[in-house]
Amino acid sequence: MLRYALTRGVLLIAGLLVSSVVIFFTLRVLPGDVAQLIAGTQASPDQVEAIRASLGLDRPLLAQYTDWIGGILHGDLGTSQLSGASVGAELAEKARVTWPLALMSMTIAMLIAAPFGVMSAVLRGRAGGTAMNVAAQAVAAVPVIWAGMMLVVVFAHWLGWLPAQGFPRTGWTTPGRAFESLLLPAMTIGIVEGAMLMRFVRSATLQAASQDFVRTAAAKGLTRRQALIRHGIPAVGLSIVTVLGVQVAGIIVGSVVIEQLFTLPGIGRMLVTDVGTRDLVKVQSELLVLTGFVLVIGFLVDLVHHAIDPRQREEAV
Amino acid sequence: MTLFRTPRRSVRLAAIGILAAGALVLTACTGSAEPGPTSGGKIDANATLTVGLVLEPDNLDIRHTSGAALEQILVDNIYEGLVSRTQDNKVEDRLASSHEISPDGLTYTFTLHDGITFHDGTALTSADVVASYETVKTDATVQGNTEFSGVASITAPDEKTVQIVLTKPDQDFLFNLTGPAGLVFKTGDTTDLKTAENGTGPFVLKHWTKGAAITFDRAEKYWGEKPKLSEVVFQYIPDFTAGVNAALDGSVDVLTAVDPNLVSQLKDTGDFTITTGQTTDKATLAFNNAEAPLNDKRVREALRLAIDHKALVEAVGAGQTLYGPIPELDPGYEDLSKLVPYDPAKAKELLKEAGKEKLDLTLTIPSFYGTTVAQVLVSDFAKVGVSLKVDRVEFPTWLDQVYKNHDYELSFVLHVEPRDFGNWANPKYYFGYDNKQVQDLYAQSQAELDPAKSADLLKKAAKIVSEDDAADWLYNGETLTALTAGIKGFPKDSINSRIDLAGVTRTAG
Repeated sequence: MLRYALTRGVLLIAGLLVSSVVIFFTLRVLPGDVAQLIAGTQASPDQVEAIRASLGLDRPLLAQYTDWIGGILHGDLGTSQLSGASVGAELAEKARVTWPLALMSMTIAMLIAAPFGVMSAVLRGRAGGTAMNVAAQAVAAVPVIWAGMMLVVVFAHWLGWLPAQGFPRTGWTTPGRAFESLLLPAMTIGIVEGAMLMRFVRSATLQAASQDFVRTAAAKGLTRRQALIRHGIPAVGLSIVTVLGVQVAGIIVGSVVIEQLFTLPGIGRMLVTDVGTRDLVKVQSELLVLTGFVLVIGFLVDLVHHAIDPRQREEAV
Repeated sequence: MTLFRTPRRSVRLAAIGILAAGALVLTACTGSAEPGPTSGGKIDANATLTVGLVLEPDNLDIRHTSGAALEQILVDNIYEGLVSRTQDNKVEDRLASSHEISPDGLTYTFTLHDGITFHDGTALTSADVVASYETVKTDATVQGNTEFSGVASITAPDEKTVQIVLTKPDQDFLFNLTGPAGLVFKTGDTTDLKTAENGTGPFVLKHWTKGAAITFDRAEKYWGEKPKLSEVVFQYIPDFTAGVNAALDGSVDVLTAVDPNLVSQLKDTGDFTITTGQTTDKATLAFNNAEAPLNDKRVREALRLAIDHKALVEAVGAGQTLYGPIPELDPGYEDLSKLVPYDPAKAKELLKEAGKEKLDLTLTIPSFYGTTVAQVLVSDFAKVGVSLKVDRVEFPTWLDQVYKNHDYELSFVLHVEPRDFGNWANPKYYFGYDNKQVQDLYAQSQAELDPAKSADLLKKAAKIVSEDDAADWLYNGETLTALTAGIKGFPKDSINSRIDLAGVTRTAG
């Protein structure tokens, strides 16, 4: 187990390093830079050059990269070239919107996927099961942005139950309003992700029900349902853990779109704004943190997988 | 500075105003004061005023960062220069009690007011002015560096006097001192200007909640007449609908840059006074004069004749037509509407003559400008056989492609800076417009000592630029401000670039 974790850990770090290189150099391809933006439209090329030099943007790219990555290794995400503010501090602040949004989305997705997925598997071949399956197919195919707009129309405009957009300026000091403003966005992501997850739960349940060990258990005197719960569900849980790992990445990407649509002051929105102002030190640190987050989740999923699946343990030995 | 003082109009848009203009809507202006607080209740000396603004600054370092968002709130309120601007764009003394210009137009002598202090309590002397201006002159990363290129020397003959000598007369020099270049900072100050301040103005920075609001308090030890407001909160609301909602539910007392399409929601309640302010925002449809096919005057003229300017202004919702490079608030303005009648038939003829009956053109436009202008242009141009492709780009991309590399055919941005005619006399500017006569006239206007004669020279030059169809000026932006009852003296014109709050009052109750 330890050896497995170590190998995976090394892979994780290598993955982060490669990502940092890709992120850094891809961003440098974007046209325009922050010096030109600071200088404005009345500035002469000399002035722009002077600002560029004062920001260190005239130094070789490799030096800029090692500076940045050196800071990261010391736990310093750098400072914004535009505002001079600490990137780490701002990320932490914006996470106060994005984290709750992700958790709420995930919860909603699970609440939809687990019961309906198992039910549609159990009802397979009957009208109810088929209907659920078709509905899930359809919802999973809906673009997040469209789903969001539809929910706004229904819950904000027609029913008037929830705010159409925005986050209270008072933040979590007014928890009720903050929660309320995250509900529609979380539902948007949760429903679409939940529909995808539901189809997965369904097929995993079906697969488990037909496994030899479930049939054997049933043959040894358990009811079919007992066999499924005792032996089938752990196997299903395994695959769901894997899929959840992938879902996290989906929810993060989804939050970038959703935070725009609902004008939420979260990480996704900050990222879009920072790309728009070419505040690249900030953008690259934000991207690296997000990438790191996804990779770490993947790493944990691998470990959990390894721990609960006896077959994998044997292979690794 | 009496209570009835006319607020200054501050037209100057900081360097880029464009960003600010993101507000698509011709944001607001400072300006014209309402009459004094005579009617209604008593002035509340402890009043708080909450002002809704659109564009939040990225940092507060006005020395190093361009942008109307900074100038709008900081100049005159937090920081002051030797001189400032009045409502009608005239220069007036601020930190200086008087100034004198030598007959040859080369030597400017300023006498400072007594008792001026920075917010940390240190007295301001002529040495601080000299040090501040020396920095502007020598440090290219400081805003206004190019405006100081003609400065030969800055000296302090005594503690109350500052003398600036130019290498050649410069009609705009004094006006430029009313912008960021002229602000006075404490010598050797260690304040982090990005997040804090140590100015001399009537207000001090209390705190800044990033992404939400900036709060100013009255400077209790202000050297001049104390402001009547005790506290001012600038509430940043980037979304126009959200801004109107904030005004409706009372979370802001004043809403600037009201979206013209939403203004009726506020008007209908009867609770708001709506003011329409002038700006120097020039909605500029730039032609790349240096490259085919727009190096052909017939093509440029045809495009201008094809645009129905009145319909365009109506579609935009707030603004006036403008047919030349100089807006009404700047010296050298003249109504040039006769040069560009709406005449699609003639446009077609001109295109035929130029051998361009079918023409494909690309318009590069920063994405924060909304779609109205581009839609009108696409449909107007289609009527004369020009098919317009609209390339919406991020603003930094626009700066790189269009502004820096001149890689474009047509471009649209709002040029908000006052007195920026010099761009038409600079062949290296992205317009690519190179006319020796215009350059000479502009140089003469700058060297001319008499402001009226200088304006006449500018007028001539501006007419030539428009006759050459160097660009099209689609409209001159206007800015709408909504005020709740009891607020007096809030500026009206050009408040997208300066909101002088010293004369604003609020009645109690």
